[in-house]
Amino acid sequence: MKQKSTARYRFGFDIGGTFTDFVLIDGESGKIHSYKTLTTPHEPAKAVMEGWHKLLADVAGDGSDVEIAIHGTTLITNALIERKGAVTILVTTSGFSDVLDTQREMRYDIYDLHAPQVHHLVPRPLRFEVTERLDGFGAVVQPFDASGLQQMSDTLTAAGVLAEIEAVAVSFLHSYANPSHEEQAKAWLTERMPHVALSLSSEVAPQIREYERMSTTVCNAYVQPLTERYLRQLQGELSDGGFQKKLYLMLSSGGITTLERASSFPVRLIESGPAAGVLAAIFYGEMTGQANLVSFDMGGTTAKMCVIRNGQPAMSDNFEVARVHRFKRGSGLPVRVPTIELIEIGAGGGSIAHLGELGLLKVGPESSGADPGPACYGLGGTAPTVTDADLLLGYLNPDYFLGGRMQLDRAAAEASMVPLAQRLGIDTTATAHGIFQVVNENMISATRVHVAERGVDPRGLHLMAFGGAGPVHAHAIARALKMAGYICPAGAGVTSALGFLTAPTAFEFARTFMAKVTSNALLQMDAIFAELEAEGRQTLLEAGVPAADITFARRADLRHVGQGHEIVIDLPYATLAGVDVDQELRPLFYRHYAEIYGYAHQHLGLEVATCRLTASGPRPKVTVQQSERQTDAAETAGKGQRLVYFAELGGFVSTPVYDRYRLPPGATFAGPAIVEERDSTAVVGPHSSVRVDAFANLIVTLQE
Amino acid sequence: MDLITLEIQWQRLISIMDEVDNATVRTSFSTIVGESRDFACILVDEAGSSLCQSNFSPPNFCVVLPRTSKVLLEKFPLHTLAEGDVLCTNDPWIGTGHLPDYVVLTPVFWQGKPVAFMGTVAHLTDVGGHRGDIEAYDVFTEGIRIPPSKLYLAGQENPLLFDVIGSNCRVPDMVLGDLRAIVGTHSLGARRLVEFLNDYGLDDIVALSDEIHTRSERLMRERIAALPDGVFEFGLDIDGYIETVHLQARVEIRGSDIYVDYTGTSPQTRLGAINCVYNTTYASTLYPFKCALVPRIPNNEGLFRPVHVTAPKGCILNCDGTHPVQARAKVTNNINQVLFGAVWPILGEHAQAGSGSIWPFSFSGQADGYGVFSAHMLPHGGRGAMAELDGLPPIAFPHNSAVTAIEVMETRAPLLFLCKEFLPDSAGAGYRRGGVSQTIRVRNIGQAPMNARLRPDKMFCEPPGLNGGKPGKVGEVRWNGSVLTRFPPLEFKPGDELEMRMPGGAGFGAVAERPRALVERDLALGYISAEGAAADYGYTP
Repeated sequence: MKQKSTARYRFGFDIGGTFTDFVLIDGESGKIHSYKTLTTPHEPAKAVMEGWHKLLADVAGDGSDVEIAIHGTTLITNALIERKGAVTILVTTSGFSDVLDTQREMRYDIYDLHAPQVHHLVPRPLRFEVTERLDGFGAVVQPFDASGLQQMSDTLTAAGVLAEIEAVAVSFLHSYANPSHEEQAKAWLTERMPHVALSLSSEVAPQIREYERMSTTVCNAYVQPLTERYLRQLQGELSDGGFQKKLYLMLSSGGITTLERASSFPVRLIESGPAAGVLAAIFYGEMTGQANLVSFDMGGTTAKMCVIRNGQPAMSDNFEVARVHRFKRGSGLPVRVPTIELIEIGAGGGSIAHLGELGLLKVGPESSGADPGPACYGLGGTAPTVTDADLLLGYLNPDYFLGGRMQLDRAAAEASMVPLAQRLGIDTTATAHGIFQVVNENMISATRVHVAERGVDPRGLHLMAFGGAGPVHAHAIARALKMAGYICPAGAGVTSALGFLTAPTAFEFARTFMAKVTSNALLQMDAIFAELEAEGRQTLLEAGVPAADITFARRADLRHVGQGHEIVIDLPYATLAGVDVDQELRPLFYRHYAEIYGYAHQHLGLEVATCRLTASGPRPKVTVQQSERQTDAAETAGKGQRLVYFAELGGFVSTPVYDRYRLPPGATFAGPAIVEERDSTAVVGPHSSVRVDAFANLIVTLQE
Repeated sequence: MDLITLEIQWQRLISIMDEVDNATVRTSFSTIVGESRDFACILVDEAGSSLCQSNFSPPNFCVVLPRTSKVLLEKFPLHTLAEGDVLCTNDPWIGTGHLPDYVVLTPVFWQGKPVAFMGTVAHLTDVGGHRGDIEAYDVFTEGIRIPPSKLYLAGQENPLLFDVIGSNCRVPDMVLGDLRAIVGTHSLGARRLVEFLNDYGLDDIVALSDEIHTRSERLMRERIAALPDGVFEFGLDIDGYIETVHLQARVEIRGSDIYVDYTGTSPQTRLGAINCVYNTTYASTLYPFKCALVPRIPNNEGLFRPVHVTAPKGCILNCDGTHPVQARAKVTNNINQVLFGAVWPILGEHAQAGSGSIWPFSFSGQADGYGVFSAHMLPHGGRGAMAELDGLPPIAFPHNSAVTAIEVMETRAPLLFLCKEFLPDSAGAGYRRGGVSQTIRVRNIGQAPMNARLRPDKMFCEPPGLNGGKPGKVGEVRWNGSVLTRFPPLEFKPGDELEMRMPGGAGFGAVAERPRALVERDLALGYISAEGAAADYGYTP
């Protein structure tokens, strides 16, 4: 008999552009069930319900057995990229509504005269100004005057478009320091325009710098109506499917939140999928005893990397969405909300190799996509791609791509290389290896800069390799960055969905507070933290976290007096009153600063710019089933040998090939080796040793 | 060297400079470095030639730095340098043409000898001198000049030089803080370069440098050779200061070389600090050709070799060593316009009409709650149109920098900005219209006067249109309502208001050819008024 009293399953699902991924974890046995189906873009819930019923059938359960459902989606990002959000108006301080167009007045490409303008989401005729003004300390210079809103309403009415307005963003100067004027605007709008979704900059992103805050608020308003509609529908469908609890959402920061909160702040969900991938990397890191990692997810068009220290991902407030030039910093719409900081570059299996103007080999960022895809797919693509190179170098098995579901055409891959090879004056193998090296270098450079910005020594890190192409390229990248080794986790195909289930309920708050750090300022910070904690507690209580299980972590953005940029410092104090600025806080800051930048200006005092608080519920305990079978015999998983290219060994060498699914826990073997699984292939280079752990993860240690 | 290795190693060098760049922003003290990004990080080879720069570096600094490096290396020859030495100068004639730009050059040692240099050019907040900007009789009133010197000796600060620099500026913590930050980023860059050399087992970067320069030069020559040979001339009157200045360019395309000569240009002046040293004239001349011919090739010295620039000694584009130079951008920012004016017929879609310029301003003083303050802002007029592209609204050109946030300005100084908004009808009409400009208004809300410096441009001479496009509208500065035409340092008193109406970008192509629908769109967006549409486009509803 099934026990109905305790819901035992946790259900996670990630709606990506192509696939919707599902994971169901059995809380009792720790067994992970997963499923993947094609996304149904016009009716996303359809694919969701298919996965829901499929996995419940697999475990012979029903909806009431599911304790929690957690969701992440690219829907919001796509709405921003495709500009399919709500008809939104922007209300600003008088004289400043054009800031949405003038932005930072900086070019994102200094030599391309044709680089197009970055258009924002609210056209000029839908931007309105009101009389109100605060100074740099938040003091009222000119009181809020609602007549501007009345005029706006009259104008929209006269134009006959009032009813079409779905969302309003309000962004006043210095509202991060004093939200009262925005709140007055909200009161007026709530009463007179009750049908619109409302976003206040003091709630969405209470941080200094008017363009960035305005941009974030506009992005939020723009996706608010569709997010709310979508989430309500999804919750409804799941209820119809027997689910009796609440739906939760993954945030870009890696926390999870309620449907209500997500509907109010959808801009915080933009990077939920990639964030969940990082959480999964952290989860696998714990499983394998590695808390210091770089998560590395290489798919068809991009590679994403994130530094993880002591089990904590790198975080940032600076994120851009919907870039005009996908990989050009500065060409997107800034979004200042807490986000797990990933770097994304145009390097994937489908990245196309070509010769640049100087005749040098370039790879990406253009990608062949899924259709026609790499030449070796045989779907009509003729451009040489990374996947074609990987095939020619013997890294991929033409008969076992996607577990044999797709036959790769070696001759087509070879043919795609010929024009490049001729122009480079080398053979096709050397060309393929060149592509492999160049795409690796793109990823290595980007990762190196990212790791260095965090002040981390790569020698103590492991690379956690995901995605179809991740394990193929992990060895070369970990080696070049002098990392200790790398890990290819078991069942990496549905990592994001798995990541949802390992996250605590958590919400991050940030508020600008500019002051010299004195004992008096610490008291003011305590007051701000107390407000943020109250907000956090309320949010988590609404999400059903018991009061006793709520924890807070305080951080602050600090800098030397007079400096322009800050670093984020963890404040290990429950209260700041009584903390000695000179004896405790300054040394703490100088130590962190010097760790990143080599030295600190110890004669200078400190300034604070932002107070940050994370309110979290308990981290769910996910226990994964361990295999009891332990052996060191890898031979039983052997699939024979094939010729594989390793530059360190002078070219093609006969290399053992293993079947991932038949590798027993405890097995050890030395590189070079190939390990094949359905969704990827691990290419283990020479001078390394591989161990299969009790959870079937491959752990590769690089020798000096 | 094989092409794959070259690509990989070159990209790696650029990424090293990006890391140095990033550290510069994050460790700097001044708004001008940290917020406005008025600095460049450049890798220089042992011969003093520039090899690559960070992706966001302003273009001109990369062109000038090798010239500076070569002078520094004459005074401090390579073999005399010790590990931990840091060279610097802000001499305008050796460096980038005005005193605030410090050039800092740090040798990178590998296997016991210097193999390259980390180079940074950064606009520091203050160099002493008079409180003004544009009105100066000579360079000596403009601040302290540091001849080529050692800022650090074998890893130790040169105490005398730090004292001299610190004692000769108003905000020593900020200026010395920025200098120390720059040196810190160089040691980071040096570590990265050594790792690079070690990884590839290289003794030096001579072969790599040679390969990059040779290939870049070859491509630049191919692109030039593809242009028709000929001589193209253009003359342009620009604002200058008090007196209009004439720029005259003669551009000769001959085979794979470009010869630019500025004979006929106005003489140097003592009316305003708008004189250009040869270095900046040279750099500003290269820029439009780089953009038009090889925009995607990472900047390096090889690209510069086929372009030859001459300007008569004593003209405003090649001034002698005593003339005032602080505000030279008022002239150099127009060089691209005189060159596009000459060669646009052979550049096709790559030519750009005149832009509305940069209008830098700053406020400094002391106030309760703010301490000693100095806050800069670098806003812009509209950008010029191109053959198939309307000009962009306010954006940096031809340099690159970011505008300081209003909220940051207001937390640094007792200021209240009243608007930062588009200025309708400011753009030049044309088949493609120029970029709309903006108006900024600001008030002193403190209890005490503060010092204001501003440097408007194109208040008298319009940004020129191309191929029949109309010029952009000129700008205007109002001080408590009255028009200002001269800009000595201003005492900005409590309650005073300053209004800056910036110039619009110029148009490209005949006005009559602009589609009616685009005029109507501009009307709907408020970029042009009904009167403007009638006057500039002959539009009637």
